Order: sequence, then C-alpha cells, then structure tokens
Amino acid sequence: MRTKTGTQRLLRWIGNGLLVVMLVWTLVPFYWMAATSLKKDKEIYGFEATLVPRHPTLDAYRLLFVKTPFVKYVRNSTIIALATTAFSLVFGCLGAYAIARLRFPGRGAIARGLVFSYLVPPSLLFIPLFTVMSTLRLVDTYHGLVLAYLGFTVPFSTWLLMGYFRSVPLELEEAALVDGCSRMGTLVRIILPISLPALAVVAFFSFTQAWNEFLYAQVFISSNEVRTITSGLTLFIVEDVFFWGPMMGASVLSTLPPVILYLVFQRWVVKGLTLGAVKG
Amino acid sequence: MAVRADPTEAYPESILVAAPVRPASRARRRRFGGETRLAYAILTPTFLVILGLVAYPFFIGIYLSLQSKMVGAPGRFVGLQNYVDLFRDDMFIRAAYNSVVYTVVAVALKFVLGLTMALVLDQERRFNNFFRTLLFVPWAIPVVIVSLNWRWIFDDLSGFLNNFLITFHLTKNIISWLSDPSLAMGCVIAVVVWAGTPFYTMTFLAGLQAIPRELYEAAEIDGASIVQQFFHVTIPRLRTIFVTTVMLSTIWTATNLQFVYVLTKGGPAGRTEIFPHLAYAQALGAFRLGMGAAISLVFFPILVLLIIFLTGRMLRPADE
Repeated sequence: MRTKTGTQRLLRWIGNGLLVVMLVWTLVPFYWMAATSLKKDKEIYGFEATLVPRHPTLDAYRLLFVKTPFVKYVRNSTIIALATTAFSLVFGCLGAYAIARLRFPGRGAIARGLVFSYLVPPSLLFIPLFTVMSTLRLVDTYHGLVLAYLGFTVPFSTWLLMGYFRSVPLELEEAALVDGCSRMGTLVRIILPISLPALAVVAFFSFTQAWNEFLYAQVFISSNEVRTITSGLTLFIVEDVFFWGPMMGASVLSTLPPVILYLVFQRWVVKGLTLGAVKG
Repeated sequence: MAVRADPTEAYPESILVAAPVRPASRARRRRFGGETRLAYAILTPTFLVILGLVAYPFFIGIYLSLQSKMVGAPGRFVGLQNYVDLFRDDMFIRAAYNSVVYTVVAVALKFVLGLTMALVLDQERRFNNFFRTLLFVPWAIPVVIVSLNWRWIFDDLSGFLNNFLITFHLTKNIISWLSDPSLAMGCVIAVVVWAGTPFYTMTFLAGLQAIPRELYEAAEIDGASIVQQFFHVTIPRLRTIFVTTVMLSTIWTATNLQFVYVLTKGGPAGRTEIFPHLAYAQALGAFRLGMGAAISLVFFPILVLLIIFLTGRMLRPADE
C-alpha cells in the first residue's frame, strides 16, 4: 500500500479543483438551456433579463406543442432512427458473421472497405449523394434518409460486431455444427446470445447517430412532413429572429432520448467507444 | 438498468481490440471452409451499402467537381477549371488558412483538456463514476443543439455570458462574441472543444485504467518521482491511443460544418469560414454543385492519408 505523501495530497487537491472547474464548464450550458426554457419572454430578453428564472413557467413548452411542428419532427426523427437501428443490426450481424467466421476470397478487401467507408466523412459525400438521391427521387422521403444513414451506421456496426464475434470461442460453434446445426443456426443460437452487449452498443450508436445527424437531414429533406428534429430546430430561427424560449425547450426535450440511452447503456458504450471509433 | 460504470469490472477484452484470427487447422478448415456462397449472400447488403452509398457517390463527386453544374441544370464539363478558380479565390485561401487554425487549435485543446480530465478521473475519489457520467454527457447530445445553445449563450443582448459579466460588473460594454472579427474564431473553437473533449477523456481514461498498477509501484521503488512516472510509464503506455484518438478526431473536427453553420455561417467577414461550410454554402446556398464538390475534394488527399493509416490500425489485431 502506498503511503500518503505531501505530493500526493497536493495532487489530490489540484485534481479536485480541476474537476470542479470542468464540471462548471460542462454543466453551465445545460443550466442555461433549461433555465431559458422555463422563462417568460420578459425575463429572456432586454434589460430585465435574468440569470435565474424568477417566475418559472411552462409557456415555452406549451407554445412548442401547440404552435410549432415540434411533435411532427420528433415523430419523424423517431421513425428514421428506429429504422436505421433495425437495418444496421441485421446487416451488421450478417456481414460481421461472414467476415469473422467464413472463408471466402475478398474477405480482407471487404473488411478494409468497411473501415474506410466508416471514416469517409459525410461532408465529403453529401453533394454527390444529393444528386444521386434527386435522380432516384429519394429526396424528401423517410427511406431516402434512412438509406443515407446506413452509409455510416452499417460499416461501423459490422466492424464492431466483427471484433466481438471473433472473440466467441470456435469450439462452441463447432459443437453445434457437429450436432447438425446450420451456419445461420449457430449465428442465431450461439453467437448472438453471447454478443448481447455488443448488440446493445451497436443499437445505441445507430440510434444516436441517426437521431443526432444534421447535414444529410438538412440537405435531403425540404418538407416539414419528413423533417427531423435536428434540421427542424434551425427553422425556429426566422430571418435572424430567434424564439429562444421554445427553442431551448425543444433542445431540452430532443436532448433527452440520446442522453437517457447513454445513461442506460453507458458501461458498454464507453467500452465500445474505446475501440477507437465513433462520432466527433 | 445499472447506470454505474465500473472500470475495474472484467470486460470482454475483444471489445477493446479485435481478437486475432486463429490459424485454422486443416480439419477445422474443411469443416469451416467452402462457404463462399453463403458468405457472399449474407454480405450482399453490406457490400451494396459500401458500393452504393460511399464508393459510387465518391466517384460521382469527382465527376461533379470537373463540371460547371448548377442545381437542376445539366452540367458542362470544364476539366480542372473549378480547382483553378478556387486557388485564385481569396475566400478559398482564407478558408484554407482558417481550416488549419481551427483544426489544429481545437484538436490540441481537446487533447490537453481530455488528458487532464482523464488523469483527474483516474485518481481515487468518492462519486467518481457520477462525475464521469456528467462530464461525458456533452458527447451524447446532437451537435446542432450544442451549437444553438452556445449561440444563445454568446448572444449580444441577452445571452448568458454578457448577462453574467454585466451582473457581476466584470464588463461595462456588451461584448459581441460572435460578430467581433477578433473573437469569433475563438468562440467557435471553444464550442468545438466543449463538445469534443469527452471523447478524448473517455479513450484516455480507458487507456490509463489498462496500465497495470505494478508498473507504478515498481517505478516508485526505483525512486521515480510522480513527474518521472508520468513521462516514463504513463505517456509511453498511452502512445497508441494518443495517435488513434488524435487522427480520428482530426478527421471529424476538420470535416464538421455544424458548429460554423449554426454559430457564425462563416462570418464575420469570412473570419470563421472553413472548408466544409464553404462547400455547403457553394453547393446549397449558391447552387453551384460542381464548385461545392471541388471544395470538399480539395482536402481529400490529406484526409485519405489519415484514413488509410487508421484503417490499418483499426483492423490490426491485438498487439498490446
């Protein structure tokens, strides 16, 4: 056991101090977001602006639900994120199983292509993808946007699951194969049940990335019927006039799904993240 | 559902690093081999995704960049004219300069803050898991919301910053954070750092926790001071993680247009204009698709080096 020396005690206090500074830096924006959403306009703007809401009210939220297409945006985001997650899981499992367990020519090339695809940033692809989508009449549709999202969620899911499937002992599968189980049977009965933590990570990332994505949503969607929340939020700015109350209310609410998912899945997510990948 | 993340908990190591493929014995190969057809069948969706959503658009992008094409009109082939025009354009040169400053400063700050926080969280402390959870939250929320929220914090008349500074008599005049040419880039970078530091903290912390305690004990017995331990035990052990994290983050930082798009739209007077936003503004603001495609492709050569290097790294089996 180490004994507490003076240096260690000093380091401990420096550490605590830095922690406090970082917590303030991290949490103040959240405070400001929530505080603004609970204020009346009078407290938000002008000379009577306050740091702490004096008369908390849910007016901004009421406005949000009654006067804006917020609910519609949330519905669209949910549909698109869930569909993206479902397809990523299925495609990811199939592809990862093939690369991890089957031998076939071109395996290395496909694995390389996957990681490469994941690393190519959307800001490089959105212009050509937009012309492709226009030609195929996929602009302004749910399936068009889901398809675009699969371009980065499928490579990531496959790559992450590939690493995990490889760690499942071959012997388990061999036993099942000898007993007459088919290849797909071993995937469903042996590999997937063992891989639940990895599946959770993949589901989390696919959902969150689809929910949080902005660029494709902004470029490929122009009608309010299909618009997602991230792209919809910027529409609350009308001609440089901001409606900060409802906007912060909308921010609070649309931040909740990814944050709740993060809290639930965090122990797996943090590990999955240290694989060296995921969003910037 | 458990919310705590216990770092000491045994975790399937494979999730940290892809396990090496075992050399298959001949008997095993016979049983496992000859499944090419099944493999191709179940890989079809993945293959189509790579081909149709990444490879094909990428080549279309190159083709577009060689055209003078407006939205909705057929393109005219102009060869390298778009690129020639770009390098003659002051705005482009300025965007190139801004992009480099923006990326380098943001990545450096995220690195330093991320490492500091990882070291702090690696200390023993009560409620450490709780603090870590709080510090990681910015990573989970949409960048658009982060940017909108900060735009509101920076607001001239009623934003948090000016409000706070005036309430506590730290300034008399209103500071125009985002429209002051000398402040705008700093403000944008601050937001990028706020949103991006948790990623660094997470990966560095995972790296720190993987260092066996015995190494420190041995160093201490040899009389190494805490500073020496840091430079001779901690840093060398984290080098691989440093390289991977910085490269990934460089790609993502340099190519993310959301911060600039929401905070400043490239202004004031082009002071915060960076490549991805310039490409967006050209393609969807000015409807010049060909020019936009050319701008996104200009920095691709640098990007591709990073990507190739990282691809190798992310596929390499465990080597630590």
